[in-house]
Amino acid sequence: MTTSAASGSDPGGPGVSPVDTVALLHPDVARWVWEQGWTELRSAQTEAFAPILTGDTDVIISAATASGKTEAAYLPICSALATTAPLPGISVLYVSPLKALINDQFDRLDRLCEHLEIPIHRWHGDVPGAQKAKLLNDPSGMLLITPESLEALFVLRGARIGALLGGLRYVVLDELHSFMGTERGAQLQSLVHRVELAVRRPVPRIALSATLGDMRLAAEFLRPGAGEAVRLIVADDDGGHVRLQVRGYRTTPPRLGGPSLQAALEAGDEVTSEDTADGNELAIAGHLFETLRGSDNLIFANTRSEVEIFADLLTRRSEKAKVPNEFFAHHGSLSKEFREDVETRLKDRTRPVNAVCTATLEMGIDIGDVRSIAQIGAPPSVATTRQRLGRSGRRGDPAVLRCYISEPEVSSKTSPPDALRAELVQTVAMVNLLLERWYEPPATGELHLSTLVQQLLSLIAQHGGVRPAEAYSALCGNGPFGNVSSAQFADLLRALGAGEVIAQDSAGLLLLDVRGEQIVNHYSFYAAFSTPQEWRLMSGGRQLGTLPVSDRQPLRPGSLMIFAGRRWRIVGVDPGPRVVDLVAAPGGRPPRFQGSGALVHDRVRQEMLAVYRDGSVPAYLDTTAAELLTEGRRHFAFYGLDDRAVIDDGLESYFFPWAGDRVLYTIAAAVTAKGLEVSVAGLALAVVGADAVEISALFGELARRPAPDPAVLAQAVANKIVEKYDELLPDELLAAGYSARTFDCPGAWKVLRDFA
Amino acid sequence: MSGDSGTSPPVPSPYPQGMIRPRDRDAIVQSLRAGVVPRLGHQHIQVGRALEVKALLRDVDRVADGGSSVRFIIGEYGSGKTFFLQLVRSIALERKLVTLNADLSPDRRLQASGGQARSLYTELAHNFATRAKPDGGALASVVERFVSTTLAEATERGVEPAVVIAERLGSLSELVGGYDFAAVIGAYWRGHDIGDDGLQSDAIRWLRGEFSTKTDARLALGVRTIVDDANWYDHLKLLARFVRMAGFSGVLVCLDELVNLYKLAHTQSRNGNYEQILRIVNDSLQGSVAGLGFVLGGTPDFLLDTRRGLYSYPALQSRLAENTFAAGDLVDYDGPVIRLANLTPDDFYILLTRLRHVYASGDPAAYLLPDEALSAFMNHCAKRVGDAYFRTPRTTIKEFINLLAVLEQNPGVTWDGLIERVEIAPEANPDLLPLPGAGEQPPGRDDDDLSSFRL
Repeated sequence: MTTSAASGSDPGGPGVSPVDTVALLHPDVARWVWEQGWTELRSAQTEAFAPILTGDTDVIISAATASGKTEAAYLPICSALATTAPLPGISVLYVSPLKALINDQFDRLDRLCEHLEIPIHRWHGDVPGAQKAKLLNDPSGMLLITPESLEALFVLRGARIGALLGGLRYVVLDELHSFMGTERGAQLQSLVHRVELAVRRPVPRIALSATLGDMRLAAEFLRPGAGEAVRLIVADDDGGHVRLQVRGYRTTPPRLGGPSLQAALEAGDEVTSEDTADGNELAIAGHLFETLRGSDNLIFANTRSEVEIFADLLTRRSEKAKVPNEFFAHHGSLSKEFREDVETRLKDRTRPVNAVCTATLEMGIDIGDVRSIAQIGAPPSVATTRQRLGRSGRRGDPAVLRCYISEPEVSSKTSPPDALRAELVQTVAMVNLLLERWYEPPATGELHLSTLVQQLLSLIAQHGGVRPAEAYSALCGNGPFGNVSSAQFADLLRALGAGEVIAQDSAGLLLLDVRGEQIVNHYSFYAAFSTPQEWRLMSGGRQLGTLPVSDRQPLRPGSLMIFAGRRWRIVGVDPGPRVVDLVAAPGGRPPRFQGSGALVHDRVRQEMLAVYRDGSVPAYLDTTAAELLTEGRRHFAFYGLDDRAVIDDGLESYFFPWAGDRVLYTIAAAVTAKGLEVSVAGLALAVVGADAVEISALFGELARRPAPDPAVLAQAVANKIVEKYDELLPDELLAAGYSARTFDCPGAWKVLRDFA
Repeated sequence: MSGDSGTSPPVPSPYPQGMIRPRDRDAIVQSLRAGVVPRLGHQHIQVGRALEVKALLRDVDRVADGGSSVRFIIGEYGSGKTFFLQLVRSIALERKLVTLNADLSPDRRLQASGGQARSLYTELAHNFATRAKPDGGALASVVERFVSTTLAEATERGVEPAVVIAERLGSLSELVGGYDFAAVIGAYWRGHDIGDDGLQSDAIRWLRGEFSTKTDARLALGVRTIVDDANWYDHLKLLARFVRMAGFSGVLVCLDELVNLYKLAHTQSRNGNYEQILRIVNDSLQGSVAGLGFVLGGTPDFLLDTRRGLYSYPALQSRLAENTFAAGDLVDYDGPVIRLANLTPDDFYILLTRLRHVYASGDPAAYLLPDEALSAFMNHCAKRVGDAYFRTPRTTIKEFINLLAVLEQNPGVTWDGLIERVEIAPEANPDLLPLPGAGEQPPGRDDDDLSSFRL
């Protein structure tokens, strides 16, 4: 009734009184708003009313947590539903990354919808079958669902999906920022696109997101190819407060180490983790225990072994203090039963629980809100840190993040990156960017081939067979996998056919073959991401340790890598059991800090440079951290890095391009191809046996030549299988997908040319 | 409908003759234009396949004699399976059989646990057709006819109707699930007797498989079972015996689009459905059911694919293997599988003459196209899509009827200019076409090589 009046000019702005905007809503919704006793609506809320009510445009509402984004979307949506009689089928599809969030939204919306007599349903793994059957019998109203359950609907009820969603008027995507640039995000884009294909018309997409630096990226993600038409509503009022602390620690040796540990073991003494853990680890565990016990928190560490150490230390502290243990490890190497037990504990909100977990399992941990986030070691990226922060500080509490950084004592044996306190400075840079609301943009050139395989199989199951050209048009040509050419798609089909994943009938229809049926019929098919396995690093039959699962460094036989404070040459890489064979390689002192796994973005390294040049000490550092930062700056000046990029350090030279990991890996691959011994040493490249002059000459020569084809650089890389269905891809596509993720040839060549 | 089909198979004469009734003409033209098989007047456009029709005629006769039969009609997409099935169905109706027909789909299967098999039964019961009601919906009138024949027999023998009913229901009760079936027919009779329309319609609803819970059925009719995924085939057998009591010769079940079973991605459900087909084949070949025939339409892949087709099920492969002697020019139309030969260009030419004839309501003076235009049309189609135009005639026929429609409504237009403009596109899944206005393909995209892509 008021929708036509609402299509005028921008009604937003802080001066709008609630009366004007609420008048846009259906009287029943407006009455409900008054009944809630809300005296004023925030600007994001009021601004979103008109475009959503009109229902002819996509909208992104971005605001801090707990600033009423949900109401901004649901008041006008419910109003639109109440105003016009619904068509048969679901009217609103709400897709959320977390089951816990769905349950939360369900409780909030239930009261409003009950008032308006709009049926509301939820659908995820924990919803009983009877409720699902009820919805299938009478599809109507709102459906709250996870991407995986939506995928399952397509696969298992593909023929009915058009009827089920026949009345669709809005697709709401919650926590949009958490999907961007991930496999799950590509899956979500594809699912939403397939929903539109099934109902045969475009449906307005309403996204709720945290505020990002460049909202256009989110718009382009929401509607690939037409992001400029998306209406952006960015709330100024900062609803949520963030409280940050970066705590610094100096590494100290364990109580028992080397000979004394040997002696204790020979004497038959009981040796616990408390005896073998470094002193700084004990101190961090002590602080975690004191501050986090008694509430729900997530503690992130960058490797599984760190997770094990801290979970064990915290459990022992609980035993010693004679209090129930609230700290549980959760990572991909644990058995399923054990993980499920932790997940059950996390869901049970009556007892406080702290999960100590790795980055890659974030997706799997379905827990709504926690009191705070603890991060041991430098965070992998600004984006994941923001997402993690988003899990704390709901319901009006401030979001809390504590980072625990350890740095070694500087001696004559310390390598330049460690002396620069790279880990601490990277953390400071990331926190600065977080406060600036900068966010790693989702990679744009990515092919997402693994997810494309999943979507192709799902499309075949949905329709009971598709023709190749139709599949290409639905998924790539007009769909979200637009970076994939039809020639690449044909290669993909051929490889899947050769692997007995798909087959073709005499009419040209693609069908699932034996292997494809096994994949699709297993419940694990619905998730686009998988739990990656760790690579084990072996030397002479002895295990040195494991690489962090998120570590994307290219492993090439013959090239150098740094691990556990030593430099190694890769002798062999076996992707089957995921084993890397190493022999010790000569060279100087490699740095201890090797990054936290995930690829560090160019912008982060540039911010690190700015931190070194800046003189001020951020307020969020504790005393030790502030000292460590000052030390780092002193060494930065000592090496003269302000005005030179290469420094000699004994046997080797370090090149500091102040660029991201993709650039470093690209240059390393190109230099290795020239026969030099080079390894990526955290934020720098370490070249063995070449001094600054030789390096300058080499880079100059490389820079004069055109940038190479990244897929050629990727050919020799042995660990290209990263995502869930990568193993089904043909070699050339695997290399293309891998290089799109890991290498940046234009960026690297720009660095080389600037240097030369 | 021409009366000759009652005595001899409708073997077509090479050239069409005779007037066409307006009702048949409109039904044929409208259906073909929509790309679906007409329900009436098949004999006017049937071309070739005389031996196949004869074989099916023998099946119909066997079912009418209280026997059983099963035939798989196997042909490529669009080769006219559905048309053939409808033709057989119309012959069966002439022979006083009841016909039940349905297309299989992901939601309508032979075996399921989520109601898809019951949904198939409901569809079959919905399309319950007799000669008087060829379009379906005849279940109620058959039950009514059962009651009236019972009354007639009671009067004839001079006994109470209840006695005859009891005898007849007793014979139904012998079959699996027959006790409740008989009880429901009894309820219908009671409703008839005391004038309770509600009871009667509940009984019909139960027979149609429209009760979804046992509780509802118990409250309405006092029976403890309903038609469900597990027992729907037993109910078909019961229906077969029941319609014979009501004075019909038997039941012919026409199931089309069996390729949907082949396309099922779930291995266990596909095998479950094949197991159900095995039951049907066994029952028919062993003659253990009376007055029940099946005609099943599917593609060669559905039959022959040893990975996921019927041949992937060893017990079916041995039963359905084609006669190895019937190769080359030798034929065998007595096996359970009938391969529909593709139409030849000559057949197709005759088909076009028949369509022209039907369109003109059987009046040669009103033909809209001369003979040479038919050849020109075929040549044009051959240029556009190659051999596919007569192998899979659905879209070609549709375009031909469209052409006739334009010629009829624009008297000044000549055919030779129009034929060049006929567009024949390969068939496509409508749900996967790009949305209108959503991102036109950038020019020069080479996805043409995908339209003919082979693994």
